[in-house]
Amino acid sequence: MNEFVQTIKQTFKEVDLVLGWVRSPAAGVAVPACFHTPAQADDAVFDSTCMHNLVVHLPRLAGKKVGIVAKGCDARSIAQLVAEHAVDRSRVIVIGVHCPGMIDVKKAWRCFGFGKRISDAGGRVAMEGKTVAREEVLLQKCRGCRDWEPVICDVTAGGATKAATAPPAEPAGIRKRFAAMSPAERRQFWQDQFSRCIRCYACREACPLCFCRDQCAMQARDPGWATAAIDASQSWMAQLIRISHMAGRCSGCEECERACPVGIPLMLLLEEQNAVIEELFGYRAGAGPEVKPPLLTFNIKDDAWGES
Amino acid sequence: MPRETLKIVGFLCNWCSYAGADMAGMARMRQPDSLRIIRVPCSGRVDPLLVLKAFQEGADGVLVSGCHPGDCHYGNGNYFARRRLELLKRMLPVLGIDPGRFHYTWVSASEGARWARLVEEFTGQVERVQEAQPNLKIQSRIP
Repeated sequence: MNEFVQTIKQTFKEVDLVLGWVRSPAAGVAVPACFHTPAQADDAVFDSTCMHNLVVHLPRLAGKKVGIVAKGCDARSIAQLVAEHAVDRSRVIVIGVHCPGMIDVKKAWRCFGFGKRISDAGGRVAMEGKTVAREEVLLQKCRGCRDWEPVICDVTAGGATKAATAPPAEPAGIRKRFAAMSPAERRQFWQDQFSRCIRCYACREACPLCFCRDQCAMQARDPGWATAAIDASQSWMAQLIRISHMAGRCSGCEECERACPVGIPLMLLLEEQNAVIEELFGYRAGAGPEVKPPLLTFNIKDDAWGES
Repeated sequence: MPRETLKIVGFLCNWCSYAGADMAGMARMRQPDSLRIIRVPCSGRVDPLLVLKAFQEGADGVLVSGCHPGDCHYGNGNYFARRRLELLKRMLPVLGIDPGRFHYTWVSASEGARWARLVEEFTGQVERVQEAQPNLKIQSRIP
């Protein structure tokens, strides 16, 4: 029995259940799992296909004592939820793992074809003879990762060395095109992107910080910020409700974009917003369980922005 | 686009800016009629979504005005507003909305003349932006 499984089993002394990953027998990649007994945890794995942010389940498990396997970026989501009093710190045991940088499984399948075991060693990702450089199939957020060390952690359960972190990516593809657009082109770009939105709310469901559930303003009829019509204008408004409510809270886990069935580049907006927040307030979401989020407070000396 | 057809939405706090605008009116100061004023209890009430909603519905410009920092009727509403509105202002270019269409400022109840000047300036600014980038409204149809 390996050390990782052993660590999870030990936490059962304190918790009712543990959130982690098992390997999907069909696809050969890690899938999220909930372990209710130490015996179930025998199957627990942690490898470079554990890209999911399991924190999304935490606010829904209020009342239970939960153990959760968390990468550095996931730990930021937990810290942000704790800072907002959405999760009770004393009811969560964070099993921190050092992340090697996660493989975007969709990207890998595009390279290799679906459903074969992906192996990852020595900076190369391989599947049945074919190999590519690790950087090519890494998740966007893992490039230039600043969160290798979990910000909130009760038990450490091993993982990768820090040297494995890939350097930040040069803007490519849609990011490069977006950066070069004029205001009019950007307005048209978002109108086109949001005209494809089917209002399935998968972005909201996948987001660890979207915990309003039944009161979600994207869907509420009163006040009616946006109707449910499949319509570029209404979807534009609805999506901006979510983006705006993420201000100073989004830890950039990319789960919304990954969940989007029509592939709207939501992270473009969230990354820009996070950059503005960092510039204005020197704050990154999930800075720590005790840190007050910037939009929930103020500073009398904020006037350096030059408002008249 | 002629100035008369511009639609500018103004969110004014009840205690300072609305009174300031009232003063400009009582003093018979000339100002553009493109501004539609919505009175709110406090600039802290102005959710950035209200501004985005105005743009979505086809407003050509949005102006938010409250009490001067330190003078908020409720103590600190405008300090919260300042953070949100500055964030919004910096996000507008990402959405493809010219930041010149949006302005937030502080006007007190005694600054009637300043208010009239400010509305004049902002209207001129929106006018110039409008010439460069018309058709801001997010179209309903599916392209």
